[in-house]
Amino acid sequence: MIIGRYVPGNSVIHRMDPRAKLLLVFFYVGIVFLANNGVTYAILTAFTLLLLFLSQVPFLFVLKGIKPVLWVVLFTFLLHVFMTKEGSVLYQIGPFAIYEGGIQQGIFISLRFLLFVLITTLLTLSTTPIEVTDAIESLFGPLKRFRIPVHELALMMSISLRFIPTLMDETEKIMKAQAARGVDFYGGPLGERMKAIVSLLVPLFIHSFKRAEELAIAMEARGYRGGEGRTKYRVLTWKGIDTVLLLAVAILAAALFLLRS
Amino acid sequence: MEEIAVSVENLFFQYPNQPNDAIRNVSFQIKKGEWVAIVGHNGSGKSTIAKLLMGLLKPKSGIIKVFDQLLNEETIWSIRKRMGIVFQNPDNQFVGTTVQDDIAFGLENNGVPREQMIERVKSAIQQVGMEEFLLREPHYLSGGQKQRVAIAGVIALQPDIIILDEATSMLDPRGRREVIGAIEKLKVKHHMTVISITHDLEEAMKADKMIVMNRGETMSEGTPQQIFSLGEKLEEIRLDLPFVIKIRNELKQAGLPLQLNDASLEGLVNELWTLYLNK
Repeated sequence: MIIGRYVPGNSVIHRMDPRAKLLLVFFYVGIVFLANNGVTYAILTAFTLLLLFLSQVPFLFVLKGIKPVLWVVLFTFLLHVFMTKEGSVLYQIGPFAIYEGGIQQGIFISLRFLLFVLITTLLTLSTTPIEVTDAIESLFGPLKRFRIPVHELALMMSISLRFIPTLMDETEKIMKAQAARGVDFYGGPLGERMKAIVSLLVPLFIHSFKRAEELAIAMEARGYRGGEGRTKYRVLTWKGIDTVLLLAVAILAAALFLLRS
Repeated sequence: MEEIAVSVENLFFQYPNQPNDAIRNVSFQIKKGEWVAIVGHNGSGKSTIAKLLMGLLKPKSGIIKVFDQLLNEETIWSIRKRMGIVFQNPDNQFVGTTVQDDIAFGLENNGVPREQMIERVKSAIQQVGMEEFLLREPHYLSGGQKQRVAIAGVIALQPDIIILDEATSMLDPRGRREVIGAIEKLKVKHHMTVISITHDLEEAMKADKMIVMNRGETMSEGTPQQIFSLGEKLEEIRLDLPFVIKIRNELKQAGLPLQLNDASLEGLVNELWTLYLNK
């Protein structure tokens, strides 16, 4: 879901340093919990919509990103409507009563959830996976001191990203080859279909191991010796706009803190 | 005296858990700037030689010298800097997420400063004629294009020797021509030493020298003309003779008095149309 949903563009948000974007999302997720009344939620929503507007990502794409979680949002809303027993009773059906506080709580919690999803969707829509990888490598760089192989993990991520389309092609080829031998991937009882999947997975795994070995040899031949003494071709540059947007989040946090009840 | 780029003496190698040696008493020398083709059928040990030269496999006994430097544990990384290799499978040697990242990979490994990297990536991509693909991702490239990127990745490191380990065997004829064309240009421009390992004798015809391998041993060594005049001997070790050579041999058998042993189509045509003039 996260991979391959990038929408190319040249907006302010697209051009942001991916590190700044990651940090922004991280802080945002923290301060969403500060909001607890109408004013604070309104500010938060306005800020999020402003970011969406700045990203110039077509609204349709954003909607597609939210769609899978809409049911969860609805479920959360209903749960809170029926479970919260505060304020005056608005409506009564037999033993069930809907309270004023329930409606309010339901709206707030589902809105909070929606904002969460919106901001993370915005990140994946405006940032290429490889940028995210670079940002993670850079942000977690200090952990190298604790012998955490940050460079290796980032390289693993970028190699996996690079091989996703290759493996998809291969999967398709193997499926066709097996279908030509009479394997039915789409029909038949569940047990049969499970067996069919095995006939796909086994060659796929064997090929992947072979690929991995050849890739390792090729990397060694090209002088790869781990992260030590390596230089980087892709560089991340922290620009003024990155600082500005992070400061905006700080101001937002302060506003929420002052206005919350 | 001409400088010797690679010298191999009495090389033996055995794969683990195999009863026989994969390489048996192989010796040869390759001069600087030479294009040498190592040919042989599957399992003749030709690819093993490439891996031994790069230090990716360790010989059982024997000596490998690259520009008079003995290949061993200490010299392996400095020797690898002087040699680049392009492997068979275009997909399994593409490390970067885009063309430019892949070309830069070797430079990154060697700690080349970024400003220099940008220039070297640019000039390497121009030399293989792939400028407009700089930002492309590998799955949008054809096999031949991927191999040209691999070559660019090698030349960005400015090596003295380039090894092609069956680099064209998974390509269609067009991709093959693209790759060989790129190598020919490089050889002329940088006076690079080329070692091409192949079972395609058409490709081997372009070489200055050929080494024929059979069952881990060198069967013969010489110019393509000398090698192709072996005729049936090559077919005995299951090598497919190039079309021109086959025609020439058939014509000779049919009684035409062909004199030269030129492996090129042009040479054959010239000989045929002047045949009666010479009489």
